[in-house]
Amino acid sequence: MPKNIVFYADDDTDDLDLVQDAFARYSKNVEVLTARDGSQALHYLSSLSEADPTPCLIILDINMPAMNGKEVLKHIRTIERYESVPVVLFTTSSFPQDESFAKKYNAGFVTKPLDVKQMEVITELFIDHCTDEIKKSIRRHLQ
Amino acid sequence: MTLFDFQLLAEEQQIGILYEQGVYIGKRKEEAITVLLYQVEGFYVEVFYRFYRRHIEKLRSSAAVSILEPYLEQIDVDQLVGQC
Repeated sequence: MPKNIVFYADDDTDDLDLVQDAFARYSKNVEVLTARDGSQALHYLSSLSEADPTPCLIILDINMPAMNGKEVLKHIRTIERYESVPVVLFTTSSFPQDESFAKKYNAGFVTKPLDVKQMEVITELFIDHCTDEIKKSIRRHLQ
Repeated sequence: MTLFDFQLLAEEQQIGILYEQGVYIGKRKEEAITVLLYQVEGFYVEVFYRFYRRHIEKLRSSAAVSILEPYLEQIDVDQLVGQC
């Protein structure tokens, strides 16, 4: 069975490790692919071929060099393939204007955790943004 | 909330306030410890991690701007001005 792709872009290597670790318990059917800045993320997402699987979830850090997460979100929503793919803006501070931006582009908004208890909740929140079919498929493998 | 009020809270409550209201300022490393700095209203809080974003070693709060010094190069003034 092909794995569900979660695509995560962040320039902070500690945060990249954190999210990869958080998804480790779903590793049977989730693969986390990463990018180190917004421009790399957009390049990857816009160069996928028809045969490549579309990510089931895209997580974008807001503050990234080259292109920030909000710009990436705005761009990918203009690409037909990503019009309705679940996207979450993952941020270090919860600014209301960023939250409104996320809503405008039909994306989730999650503040980075401060401790491990929050990370467990946040990983569940990420998965909640996926379609029902993907959610079931991801969670089924935990049982 | 004042710094004094914040310091009277239990650590778990302080973490809750930071998560909901803290504005991230920057990050630094002290050997194996990673430190994140947040601003809450008129004061600052440093979060010390031995395991990044997993286990909090301690919190240090202060209203003194000298706490900003190790982070000055990372501070995004435009973003902070945008919050005013």
